[in-house]
Amino acid sequence: MIRSLTRLAVALGLATTALTAAAHHSFAIFDHTQTVTLQGKVLSFQWTNPHGYLELDVRDGPKNVDHYTLELTSINMLQRAGWKSSDVSAGDEVTAVIAPLLSGDHGGLLLELKVPDGRTLVPPVPAIGTFKRTQP
Amino acid sequence: MGAILVAARAAARHPSHHRSEGARAALAALAALAAWSWSISALAQAPAAAPDFSGSWERYRGPPGDKNNPPPESDPPLRAQLAGEWTARRDAARAADARGEPIATGYVHCLPDGVPSMMSGPFPLEIVQGRDQMNIAQEAYSQIRRIYLGKSQVTLRDIELGFYGHSVGNWDGNTLVVDTIGIKDYVRFRDVPHTRAMRIKERLRLVAPDILWDEITIEDPEVLEKPWTTTFAYRRMPGYEIIEYVCEDNREYADENGVTRLRIGTP
Repeated sequence: MIRSLTRLAVALGLATTALTAAAHHSFAIFDHTQTVTLQGKVLSFQWTNPHGYLELDVRDGPKNVDHYTLELTSINMLQRAGWKSSDVSAGDEVTAVIAPLLSGDHGGLLLELKVPDGRTLVPPVPAIGTFKRTQP
Repeated sequence: MGAILVAARAAARHPSHHRSEGARAALAALAALAAWSWSISALAQAPAAAPDFSGSWERYRGPPGDKNNPPPESDPPLRAQLAGEWTARRDAARAADARGEPIATGYVHCLPDGVPSMMSGPFPLEIVQGRDQMNIAQEAYSQIRRIYLGKSQVTLRDIELGFYGHSVGNWDGNTLVVDTIGIKDYVRFRDVPHTRAMRIKERLRLVAPDILWDEITIEDPEVLEKPWTTTFAYRRMPGYEIIEYVCEDNREYADENGVTRLRIGTP
């Protein structure tokens, strides 16, 4: 218990520099220099804080399916921007523009989502203009 | 108060066979006591013309030159060694961001900001102003601070340290002057360290009918060379209802090196 508290205190001590007024959250784990466009089937749309998550299966060839985890902003921000938890459902075929994870893992930050009814939804990512679009 | 004592003494001086005179004196004492109580009570309340800060608010950043913009934020006037350490931590965090390996913050652990960082936004605030208490909620992480109005501040011996500390508020004309003590040492504003002696003084006032300023001054002589003031401006959000916020499932986590990572879901 004491050790975990110490770890937490150390983590917090290290942590606070990033707690600027400008951002609640760092987006530095995502690549700001390129975007990737994915077409796939939604496994789930998780409406939670501190982030929403979209689980997506992307078909890569006739047999292979790649699984991606896409992070969204806080659902409070999504809600204020007009999003609803019902905007996306499991089974939907969608097109997602993402800023990929710099780690190379199959995940990224959702920047744009085309849903089956034809709408293109844009999450209210702070400073979204700093993510360079490289795929239409 | 003097009138009460005089009347009370008069009542005490009269023995029971002078019942009517004694009763009159007792009544006078009660009336004086009531008047005194009322005046104390009035002091404890918002003045009749006190502004009402109740409602939802969001950070306001007007165009350049807007008189409702507060003075720009300044870096903390830290004492020399601490200033060097603060700058080094800031530069290390920026370098980690540039590498794509941001240092995990308290948010990764679903921890709230506390006072005074929660006043910086960026999510809306909700103020509920009563006669004896003002609550300020920050939508992010459902943070709530409570300001007890018309009260004297307690001492650190009376309370335990926490994220929001202990706040009392008193009206200075149309300005609510809030005093806060008792913030845990790792609950920091802009990564500025502090001692148990840190005192946060705030002056909340309307600078326009729908623009509120919170002038926050931090005093901590062992850490700061002089009091450090930061002012935030907010604008009313008519009709906005605060949305619940529970830090329910953060897929981001801190790895063994304290770097933020994203857990990929299993298909």
